[in-house]
Amino acid sequence: MSPILKILPGGTAIEARRGETLADVLEAAGFHLSLYCGRRGLCGKCFVEIVRGPVPEPTGEERALLQRRELPQRRRLACGYRIEADTVVRLPSESMLPEMPVFTHGITRSIGLAPAVKKISYALSKPGLSSPPALLDLAKDRFHEARLPESVEALRRMAGEARLPDHQDREVTAVIHSNRVLLAVEKGDTTGRNYGLAIDLGTTTVVVEIVDLNSGAVIGTEAGINGQTRFGADVISRIAAAYGDPERTGAALRTAVVDGLNQLIDALCQRTGIRPDSVYEAVIAGNTAMNHLFLGLPVDTLAVAPYYAAFSILPPVPAEDTGLRVNPRGRVYIAPNIKSYVGGDISAGLTAIDLERRPGNFVFIDLGTNGEIVLKKGAKMVAASTAAGPAFEGMTISRGMLALPGAVFRANLKDGSWVVRTIADAPARGICGTGLIDIVALSLKHGRITPRGRILDPDKKIGIGDGLFLVQKDIREIQLAAAAVKTGIRMLLAGRRLTVADLDGIFVAGAFGNYLNIRNATAIGLLPRIDRAKMFFVGNASLAGARALLLNLPERVRCERLAGKIGHVSLAMGEDFQKEFIEALNLEAWN
Amino acid sequence: MNNPNEILALMAEAVVEGNRDKAASLAARAVADRLDLHLVIENGYAAGIQKVGELWEKGEYFLPELMASAEAMKAAMTLLRPALESSRGEPSSEGKAVIGTIEGDIHDIGKNLVSSMLSANGFDVIDLGADVKLGIFIDRAVEAKVDFICLSALLTTTMLNQRRLIAMLHDRGLRGRFKVLVGGAPVTRQWAADIGADGYGENAMAAVKAAKEIMARGAKP
Repeated sequence: MSPILKILPGGTAIEARRGETLADVLEAAGFHLSLYCGRRGLCGKCFVEIVRGPVPEPTGEERALLQRRELPQRRRLACGYRIEADTVVRLPSESMLPEMPVFTHGITRSIGLAPAVKKISYALSKPGLSSPPALLDLAKDRFHEARLPESVEALRRMAGEARLPDHQDREVTAVIHSNRVLLAVEKGDTTGRNYGLAIDLGTTTVVVEIVDLNSGAVIGTEAGINGQTRFGADVISRIAAAYGDPERTGAALRTAVVDGLNQLIDALCQRTGIRPDSVYEAVIAGNTAMNHLFLGLPVDTLAVAPYYAAFSILPPVPAEDTGLRVNPRGRVYIAPNIKSYVGGDISAGLTAIDLERRPGNFVFIDLGTNGEIVLKKGAKMVAASTAAGPAFEGMTISRGMLALPGAVFRANLKDGSWVVRTIADAPARGICGTGLIDIVALSLKHGRITPRGRILDPDKKIGIGDGLFLVQKDIREIQLAAAAVKTGIRMLLAGRRLTVADLDGIFVAGAFGNYLNIRNATAIGLLPRIDRAKMFFVGNASLAGARALLLNLPERVRCERLAGKIGHVSLAMGEDFQKEFIEALNLEAWN
Repeated sequence: MNNPNEILALMAEAVVEGNRDKAASLAARAVADRLDLHLVIENGYAAGIQKVGELWEKGEYFLPELMASAEAMKAAMTLLRPALESSRGEPSSEGKAVIGTIEGDIHDIGKNLVSSMLSANGFDVIDLGADVKLGIFIDRAVEAKVDFICLSALLTTTMLNQRRLIAMLHDRGLRGRFKVLVGGAPVTRQWAADIGADGYGENAMAAVKAAKEIMARGAKP
């Protein structure tokens, strides 16, 4: 007769097999305990209360943990408890896998706290006289199936740290990556100091978050301009600069981005008082060209048709090889590239919004320099890069600028006069993407420009005050950028025989964040007309995705698998591309 | 019956409006009525394209308008060219060209516009498409005995292939046989000069102008 397991609170009853581990049965039934040390009985985070049923004697480790924590009776580690008879267990809330929300507002999505880097403290005992195990074995053997690192430098360090002075028992902390690799052994109990970095490596802007891997909380954020911008505003110019010259220009590009990141990391550590040594992992979400340049891999294949990448999925690489100023024994994980220019920023973004698990048809757009679009139809996804260009980031526009203090991000036309708002309410000194969209939409609405984009005023200028204006050429740049995105959406939809009406939602990510005025974006054709309730603004989804990948190891596996399955569409190769694109230049709403 | 000047004005108008049907039907009438077709092209349709160029420069006209005008012009030329040829007894063409987007590059809207405009202006154009291997450009140019090779490139990386093609022409002893015209977003007059190209066009209108100038320079006395 199979033993029955009853789970409190709630009272769910399940049939188990005799001898099965309680943690496994609970996991399979959808009750996620914090199995921090990977079921090795070391971390003490999966204690449950045996309400009714056999209560075997605790193991040595268990007893030590029970005593240290002063836990009440009948508590046993679920990872070590085998079900032998009908049992009733109560799951204390502190033993459940903590969940963190991925977004602060907008869409709800949370992930379980299961980071790749874990710190577990334990007592290292003096080896016995007759058959003394080696030092590193002592450290490693606590972790069933764990491997020592391959780096000789890491081994030297570890042997140094794990040494027992005066040959006495000592407490140490093992730093373990993906439940397998022993990265380091630290003296004493350092489990309280376990941090990671989530990095959005954008073409123009770079954002770094420092995250507490114990709580999942973001402790601090720093943002800066990508140091490579002096080589070119867009990814293509940088690739062109590096083309055929990896030794000098390629290396210079790499140094520029790594130095820039290190400056942000240093600033963050200073501000938060966290030592870089406590950071054992950084997850980087960047587009394909950026992550290649960061690692110093050649980008020549991205420069010419068919524009293919050097890699899509990489194992976590040693931090010391990347030049990032975190613990050199740590790792750097690069969010996987999908194909061609559609890269890790997108796979991270899809992870953040968990698109794969949302039933239905969706479009995900990342409105940045590259304007990537992903279309999900049922279970399948396709992606394309629209090369919208930097117009939406304020570049190539006469009085355009990035979304920084002083940028006009919102504009309204009231009784013939322009009323604008600037970022940080600083004196207006330029117009950023969302401001440009507002101005074009309202100029169209009030008949100051034709749907073909022609400025009717004989001066060929739309002045908004403060010495700021749009000229004819600026309108054309915005038409081109909007047409690129619009054509991308239309062609992807047509390619899968879908219409806007078939969509269950559109996710908009990217620099615009919350500033984008949907009505105006729709009026100029940048986004299709769709029920407002179906539009989701998710801000910097790449950064949120990087954080999700940092905090949840199984999400990486899912992300990699998904990245491999997403089809790529080359829009420019489409038969109707020219016709669609030319038509899309018209400023008008569509669906 | 409209007086001749009125008809020419209507033809120009058809091109400026991008009205293909109007342009074609006026051309058909011109042929049927045995009007002086050179004048029809010069003062009628070409005058229209000239106006389109001015409107483009002023920013009044953008890609859609340009495309539509080029198409209207092409529609008229399709009817006028055969009639011209049969009356003169020899093929009338401003010149012959192969055009394509260079190897490694798939962007072709700009190139298509230049191709249309050259056709509209009386050139014989063989459009090789996009991502055209350098060898193919040269082979087809030799085969069709063209006057020039037009190369479009959108990226600074693929632009480098324009220089390579000119070098290839040198290697094959063919440099003197063809004129090379280059263009594309990153291409500049300076670049064209640096690589030894014969001409440069920053947009479709300029490309036609450059092509005509090259042909005029090379015209035998």
